Amino acid sequence: MSLPVILTRDLTRVYQSRKGFFFQDAVRTEALRGVNLEVSSGEVYGLLGPNGAGKTTLTKILATLLLPTSGTARVLGLDVSTESRAIRSRIGLVLGGERGLYNRVSGRENLRYFADLYGVPVARRARRIDEVLELVGMTSAADRRVEEYSRGMKQRIHLARGLLHEPELLFLDEPTIGLDPKSAREIRKLIRTLASQGVTIFLTTHYMFEAEELCHRISVLTRGRIVAEDTVDGLRRLVGGDRTIEVEGYGFDEKELSLLRALPGVSRIVEEDFGPRERLTLRVRTPETTEGDIRASLPLQRDLRIRERTTTLEDIYLDLVEEEAT
Amino acid sequence: MRGTPPPPGPRILGASFRLAAQTFVADPQWLIPSIVAPVIFALAAYEMYRGSGPVLVLYAILGAGMMSMWGQTLYGSGWAIGQDRFLGTLEPVLGAPARYLWVVAGRVLWNTLIGLAGGALVFLVIAATYHAPLPLRDPLLFVGLFAFVIATLATVGLLFSALFVLTRYGGFIQNIGEFAFYVATGCMFPVVLLPFWTTPLSLLFPPTWALDALRYVGVPGYRGLSWGLLPDLVGALVLSVAYAAAAALLFERVVRHVLAQGTADEY
Ligand SMILES: Nc1ncnc2c1ncn2[C@@H]1O[C@H](COP(=O)(O)OP(=O)(O)O)[C@@H](O)[C@H]1O
Ligand SMILES: [Mg+2]
Repeated sequence: MSLPVILTRDLTRVYQSRKGFFFQDAVRTEALRGVNLEVSSGEVYGLLGPNGAGKTTLTKILATLLLPTSGTARVLGLDVSTESRAIRSRIGLVLGGERGLYNRVSGRENLRYFADLYGVPVARRARRIDEVLELVGMTSAADRRVEEYSRGMKQRIHLARGLLHEPELLFLDEPTIGLDPKSAREIRKLIRTLASQGVTIFLTTHYMFEAEELCHRISVLTRGRIVAEDTVDGLRRLVGGDRTIEVEGYGFDEKELSLLRALPGVSRIVEEDFGPRERLTLRVRTPETTEGDIRASLPLQRDLRIRERTTTLEDIYLDLVEEEAT
Repeated sequence: MRGTPPPPGPRILGASFRLAAQTFVADPQWLIPSIVAPVIFALAAYEMYRGSGPVLVLYAILGAGMMSMWGQTLYGSGWAIGQDRFLGTLEPVLGAPARYLWVVAGRVLWNTLIGLAGGALVFLVIAATYHAPLPLRDPLLFVGLFAFVIATLATVGLLFSALFVLTRYGGFIQNIGEFAFYVATGCMFPVVLLPFWTTPLSLLFPPTWALDALRYVGVPGYRGLSWGLLPDLVGALVLSVAYAAAAALLFERVVRHVLAQGTADEY
């Protein structure tokens, strides 16, 4: 009963690709470097990471579209390399994007084709297609050709396809990427609906707010490694009593930065440019350091703007990603 | 209901056939290579051989029809795979519990049927244009054998498709294959006119046997491989089954290879 729905052990994936035509250089990319994770039934699990972190690679391995280089992965208790067909009938996969649909036929015909490929009982097929179309809000556009669809409409059909055979586990690879905010919100709402119906969801995203809104547990993947894994509350505790202070001025030099770093409790400073202005974001671990102390450290700065704001999970996420990068 | 048992092969074949038909109908440019070209070929062949007696005329027209059908089969089976790569649908299709062999078989079958329609049209156009009933002994048997030739072509197409998934240079193989086939199966030339080494080679193609059988029925006094109708049919059948079995095996391996390489999303 409490068997994990997804379980990976030291999972790695190396891509060997070739560059050039006549003189081919072998390019080796370690997309996953020892991933261990465990997802339980009924969970909404978020895999968060920047571009190129390995999110799609991990999703495809779990969905049996890519073989691991080493390590093991079990999905619904089945091995992804040797029992792939049994896994496929029980999971749904939404890779999304502009591609991946038959453009010359309608959304409904695309769904019918995949309903057959997934073995949805013929007697139920038409009704099930209507149901998923309704669920993703595509009923009225269902009979138009896919080539006339917008990005958001294609994404909805991708989602509908993933749901046709009522999978118990759903993989969603960046389900809202490239969508306008309104469509993205509707997709998130749909994901919450599915989760409330008991579907286990494995979702990747590069937005912390999305993971925070949807997921029970979140792991952060950077450069093929999981650098943190916790519940949303657990990650919040990681924030602890941390304060975040933003300091804006017309450029800061090394001397000023080291003075700020020397202030009590200052653990990290992130620099960002805005035209002639520069913003420093300070992570401060003690309550003593005040706005006055910061001003005192920067006597030559004119038009300094200092404001304290709440530390968000996004801050924690950026910290984790940057720590790994350095 | 949670999840579904994997669908049986014929259902997948049917779904794939249906989608191929819809895609074809949605894109009228396909009519040129598959329907218009064979007719033009055949009309040209007729004009060229008109004075040489009815047997040679039929031979030439048959050749033109076959050539176009082969082109259609080969082109179609390349496209059967290329299409999925081009549209990015290879991943979602491989992600379904269906065996890919059946998906491809459905498309190949559609393409060969279109080839058949092209061939039939050639026949009708020639007959209507020149008011020249072709010297067919047994039209019913001829049509039956014609369908059989199509089936043998389809198995070759299936095997080629398996090779196409393996490589992204499907188009290259396609053209080489087309040329090799014209020569090897002796569509355009009597077998005896070919260099001696191509004859044993052409015997490896199921359609060679099926075509030979077809000519027994279609061309009065045809001698061909001189083995008679029945051995021709048996040979074609055995080879076709072998091709289909090889394609099935190859598809399993090829799909595995694609998943290992991680190239299902490339085009
Ligand atoms: N088919 C492929 N061949 C070679 N390298 C690849 C391939 N797919 C992904 N990669 C590389 O693997 C790494 C991880 O990619 P990916 O899993 O797509 O990350 P994400 O989805 O997090 O953006 C990247 O460096 C990417 O360039
Ligand atoms: Mg990705």
